[in-house]
Amino acid sequence: MVDFLMGLFLASLIVALFTTRLYRLLNWYAFNSMTLGLLALLIGTRLDDDAMLITGALTILLKAGVIPLFLKSISRRFRFIRQIQPEIKVHYAIILVPAILVFTFYLSEPITHMITHNSNYVAISISSLFLSLLLMMEHKNIAPKIIGFLSMENALFLLGITATDGMPMLVELGIFFDLLMAIVVINLLFHREQEEGA
Amino acid sequence: MILYILSIFLMLLVAPILLSYIKALKMVLLFKKPISLLQGYRTVAKLLRKETLLSKEASGVTRYAPFLVLSPLLVTLFFLPPVVQGAYYVSFVDAFTLTGLISLSTFFLMLLGLDSASAFGGIGSSREAFISALVEPAMVLTVFAVSMMAQDLGVGQAGVNLASSFPKMHMASFLFAAISFFILLLAENGRIPIDNPETHLELTMVHEAMTLDLSGVYLAMIESASAIKFLIFASLFASLFMPFGYNNAPPIAVIIFVCKLFAVATAVALIEVNTAKLRLFKVPNLLGIAIVFAFLSLITFYLLGA
Repeated sequence: MVDFLMGLFLASLIVALFTTRLYRLLNWYAFNSMTLGLLALLIGTRLDDDAMLITGALTILLKAGVIPLFLKSISRRFRFIRQIQPEIKVHYAIILVPAILVFTFYLSEPITHMITHNSNYVAISISSLFLSLLLMMEHKNIAPKIIGFLSMENALFLLGITATDGMPMLVELGIFFDLLMAIVVINLLFHREQEEGA
Repeated sequence: MILYILSIFLMLLVAPILLSYIKALKMVLLFKKPISLLQGYRTVAKLLRKETLLSKEASGVTRYAPFLVLSPLLVTLFFLPPVVQGAYYVSFVDAFTLTGLISLSTFFLMLLGLDSASAFGGIGSSREAFISALVEPAMVLTVFAVSMMAQDLGVGQAGVNLASSFPKMHMASFLFAAISFFILLLAENGRIPIDNPETHLELTMVHEAMTLDLSGVYLAMIESASAIKFLIFASLFASLFMPFGYNNAPPIAVIIFVCKLFAVATAVALIEVNTAKLRLFKVPNLLGIAIVFAFLSLITFYLLGA
């Protein structure tokens, strides 16, 4: 089951790379976060770790619910361009994505020897880190760049829950508040930009 | 052996119902009065009664091509993974043979489109060549990835292996292969994101354009060929990617199998209602995603074993 959710996590990220519409990208991000939250819940029950259960529930609530809806509302308020054509053509991305995956799978090979169980999850989370970097690179508009940043955070969170058998609760909550602050700052930035533009 | 022949017979019976089911479900979702599930049979019966006319320019190709469109698909039916336990099955047929047989049928369909010497036929054939050239590599990769996970290159044996011992540790690569195969199912059968099977508008049609000049018996053969092709893909999806229910007693296993076929058809109908048709030059993007997922499934299997 963990493998299945892991597959869904990577698959939704790859599909998000090829999306050309903003709202659909937000939906894929929400789905991506949803699988991440379910993964945290699943691994949390397996390790019997209450802190991870709380973070999993918070992930589903915040990243799959609140943040996408909030981004949708600010994109409506500031009239973002909703057609987001990737700068890297799909034909090149088709070569690039498998290349990145192979590269990162080999890259994480020495790390996986150090970890006793869940070793290949580390490889998947590192590759999703690189894919979200690609998502940030391939778009010129600000909105998909934000999504790329957020999915990078998702990938780091995945690395955290799979590689460490549960981080301290404080760190995880700290990351959440960081993220929320980042969203608030982004919102303020847009306000500022609109005022200067007007 | 009896079970084998009976299951092939059952598949042939279900094939037209599946396509009518998709159409009926779409009509229900669009608040129209749905057609009957037996509409596929009615259409074929009507076409068989009608006179067969040939275009003036048509050569001998038009006379024998419909048979060659239908027969590779009929042969493929015999190579599919078994429906019930204890049934005979062909174990040695691999991804290349299946893809080759399906593309042989596509080849004669394209020839048929060119032969009528109408402009539409040529357009349809060139588009079909374009799409099927992109489908084939992904199809071979996907079926190979699944066969690797099932530890047998033969598709029939792979289906049996998956049903008896499902590789739980390869769930991630299994999922990638399933996504890829579903996109291929839509592409090869000319369903909506790739081609609209209901339109007769010259800008959009692919499959219909090649069969515009056919009538009577030949059209009936092509229609049943497309029904069988959908059935082949749906049943491959059902037995390779939804490998459960096979170990039950034969009547229950058959019922579960038919339910799985209808589940695939429902998914296709829901996608058709919810998406718009892609522009022809956007089709490589979608099929590119299929190739990425097929490749991803193979490398996840080899490098990570996940």
